[in-house]
Amino acid sequence: MTFTQQSVGKGHLLEVRNLAVHFQMREPRRRILKAVDGISYSLRKGGSLGLVGESGSGKSVSALAVMGLLPAQGCTVTGEALLEGRNLAAMDQTALRGIRGREIGMIFQDPMSSLNPTIRIGEQVAEPLRWHGLMTARAADTRALELLELVGIPDPGKRFWEYPFQFSGGMRQRVMIAMALACNPKLLIADEPTTALDVTVQMQVLRLIARLRRERGTAVFLVSHDLGVVAEVCERIIVMYAGRIVESAPVSVFMREPAHPYSRKLLQSSPRLGRRMEPLDPIPGSPPDPLQLPSGCAFHPRCSSLMEICARETPPIFQCTADHASACWLHKGMPATP
Amino acid sequence: MSLNDTKGHVIARTDTASTVGNKRKSEVVLRVIGLTKHFPVKKGFFGREAGRVQAVNDVSFYLREKETLGLVGESGCGKTTTGRLILQLIRPTRGEVRLLDSPDLTTLTNRQLLPWRRRIQMIFQDPYSSLNPRMTVGSIIGEALTIHRLAKGSEKQERVGHLLREVGLNAGSMKRFPHEFSGGQRQRIGIARALAVEPCVIIADEPVSALDVSIQSQIINLLQRLQEERGISFVFIAHDLSVVGHISHRVAVMYLGSIVEIGPKLALFEQPFHPYTQALLAAVPKPDPAKRGTRAILQGDVPSPIKPPPGCPFHPRCPRRFNPCDKIAPMLEQRTEGHFVACHLYHGSPASDEAPA
Repeated sequence: MTFTQQSVGKGHLLEVRNLAVHFQMREPRRRILKAVDGISYSLRKGGSLGLVGESGSGKSVSALAVMGLLPAQGCTVTGEALLEGRNLAAMDQTALRGIRGREIGMIFQDPMSSLNPTIRIGEQVAEPLRWHGLMTARAADTRALELLELVGIPDPGKRFWEYPFQFSGGMRQRVMIAMALACNPKLLIADEPTTALDVTVQMQVLRLIARLRRERGTAVFLVSHDLGVVAEVCERIIVMYAGRIVESAPVSVFMREPAHPYSRKLLQSSPRLGRRMEPLDPIPGSPPDPLQLPSGCAFHPRCSSLMEICARETPPIFQCTADHASACWLHKGMPATP
Repeated sequence: MSLNDTKGHVIARTDTASTVGNKRKSEVVLRVIGLTKHFPVKKGFFGREAGRVQAVNDVSFYLREKETLGLVGESGCGKTTTGRLILQLIRPTRGEVRLLDSPDLTTLTNRQLLPWRRRIQMIFQDPYSSLNPRMTVGSIIGEALTIHRLAKGSEKQERVGHLLREVGLNAGSMKRFPHEFSGGQRQRIGIARALAVEPCVIIADEPVSALDVSIQSQIINLLQRLQEERGISFVFIAHDLSVVGHISHRVAVMYLGSIVEIGPKLALFEQPFHPYTQALLAAVPKPDPAKRGTRAILQGDVPSPIKPPPGCPFHPRCPRRFNPCDKIAPMLEQRTEGHFVACHLYHGSPASDEAPA
């Protein structure tokens, strides 16, 4: 509905429409926590999209919902997540298992806990190929070796036989990427892929993701709290706040002229290299409690451009330009989608 | 060993020489000389020593009044250990730590340290585990006042209330427990606790790393305001160069337990000498897609501190290594006013007159 202006055309790989994830709370009883509250976006074939937000904004939950990895109990997912027209949100786990790892590759934040410590690296990389029945065991091993080489593991012939504990954090994340790419997926979902890594290693991994996207045409959906990381890899950026999308734009436009007051403040208030020691201009207050969201626009208690309407009505998404949208009453008058 | 000693003294001596030009000489409040910590690695049933983790190797620096020294480096480079060694939370293998006119803190017993601990405090990275969940905020902050016999009874309450207001919380918070606060608020409580005993130096170990971006800048502003108002000096330990670059006056870059470059912030960021500093600066993701992919990035990983490479610890990853790098460990030498670098590339070229003979 929203943020999908161009998505009517063909060539869209992933199209998320009005996705919502509600958790049934045990404590306080029977309350509903709206972790994701109706978000829509799309990602073209071979494209790259970055999702940015603070902790608790719903960014990881929305990525997990797309992959069907949320627990079945106590959690309701509504809306659609269309992968080339097939609705992932409506599929059962059996159908999803045929898609995960094969059409969608995944990388998670912690490269230690995502690898099995008792299985050799080579076998783990080959596993998705065998599991999906794409190759014989021997062919899968050969392919796994190629993959290790592709992601820049030095001496792959030897490392193939080693265990995860013999790998450093950056190397483990490369192994994760090799596994994710094993079946040549169309889409790579990376949830905070470099947060656990050091800066110099982070840059190696980001470059690797960008290179693989360029060479193999794998679309990338990157979730991160770090604007810099998204700017390094992605074409488009979406910003989430309190379970909703507040802004969506091409990265270059966003960095130059962010439209939503939250994104504007976020960019202004982060310390940056080369700036002097003037006091920063921080966003006052803290992110809201998802069980007690403020009325109207969830950002209004912290907003410096507060207007009377903000506390009363939730803003629709206003289309500032063809590919730049912002959910803020400041843009009232622009074409809007609820 | 003799080389190491000289290195320590170069830094320790140059502090007076390099006090910038005509500005008033501010007093040196903290002096660290040749600080070293090797942790034994035990193996087997009898705890035979199988090796040593050279966590911190011969680190020397000074800190002036009302100054912030940023300590940056990747994980495992020894920056946190350095902070704890200064406070004597871990006892160093070698080296000296002097605070104001104190004797060498490393030679004091815990009891003798107590009066000096009032002068130097710490803020921890994790605002969740660094506050006792069973104590009220009032008793967490008031505990320090009791231990140092600074106040009791209603006077203590009053001072705690005042401290809470100073860090931007209301005085009523003192009856509440840590779990009732958000991460940013807890970090404010940690800061109030450090301030309670009126220290002149605070070691801040990654104080904003666990916080959300929008909260980080609030805490950074708070620390800067406190420095301005109370004249506190900070050793600011962080892995995030942009945060360090914002808050620090001088910056020290650590790699595998040693300081590889130290100097005034602007000089260091605008003209980094050490190839590692250059790589570290290049690796900061910049929120500008136009600059994407143009910078050289570092290959490989940080080596193990149990078996550090011979010579310069950075040489296996260094894009500019040459002949002496894998044989001789470079020493810190002054390149420009107050800007020291430990790299063979610059050895012998216009260095300081303080260069060791």
